[in-house]
Amino acid sequence: MNPSVYNLGMEINLVGLASTAATFLGVWIGHVSVRKIEREVERIWIPSVLALTLGIGLEITSLWADSLVISTICGILGITLLWDSLELAYRQPRRVTKGHAPANPHNPRHARILAEHPEATVIDLLARDPRGVPFSDEEIRAIRGQTK
Amino acid sequence: MNWFGLVIGVSTLCIIGMGFAWVIRGERYFGYLWWPYVMGVGIILMVISVLVTNNYGSALLGAMGASLLWGSTELKEQAIRGELGWYPFRDGKMQPPFAKIIKKWKAPSL
Repeated sequence: MNPSVYNLGMEINLVGLASTAATFLGVWIGHVSVRKIEREVERIWIPSVLALTLGIGLEITSLWADSLVISTICGILGITLLWDSLELAYRQPRRVTKGHAPANPHNPRHARILAEHPEATVIDLLARDPRGVPFSDEEIRAIRGQTK
Repeated sequence: MNWFGLVIGVSTLCIIGMGFAWVIRGERYFGYLWWPYVMGVGIILMVISVLVTNNYGSALLGAMGASLLWGSTELKEQAIRGELGWYPFRDGKMQPPFAKIIKKWKAPSL
């Protein structure tokens, strides 16, 4: 019998439940915390290396876990942490540089980005509802010009 | 050694990666108002995943369901990215059934 399948009136495979929860929580928490940490932390390599180390640690744990449920959770959370490490070190700062994510002027690293990259902005351009029509260059300039 | 978790982890990364692609393409051609349908399919896959006895099938279906659920919350922001010119914008998107009703609902964004 499959040891991960439990009979709760009907057969429930806990591997599926673990995979669902680990994927959604890993992506959700990773997405939110990458934005928050990248915004607040000046020396971004520190959380990036932490995420990398934790991700590798979870992957190694998944290899030695006897339980498929534990192995699944560690495998998925580990890989999302490895991705978060890349997001922290490279992808999110690049979004800030291009103005696709708001810069935090109180963070010295972001203050440098704001000074050196004219596209960078403190405005969250995504904090609006879709309107179904593209913005003109003048409209985007007007939105950006609210503070910069 | 138990390779199950690593294989599922790498497969999940691919599924999430495909999620980026389908959110961009899907929003471009269909629009963000399809989000309740995408969310519904994601929830159905998640429910099916716990009923499948094969462990690989169960884990991959769970990851796909969660990825679809996540993608449904990304469609609104992707629509704005298109309108801002960060991605190609396409007119005449295919509207979902009950689009007028869905438009009144607040699209989820995490």
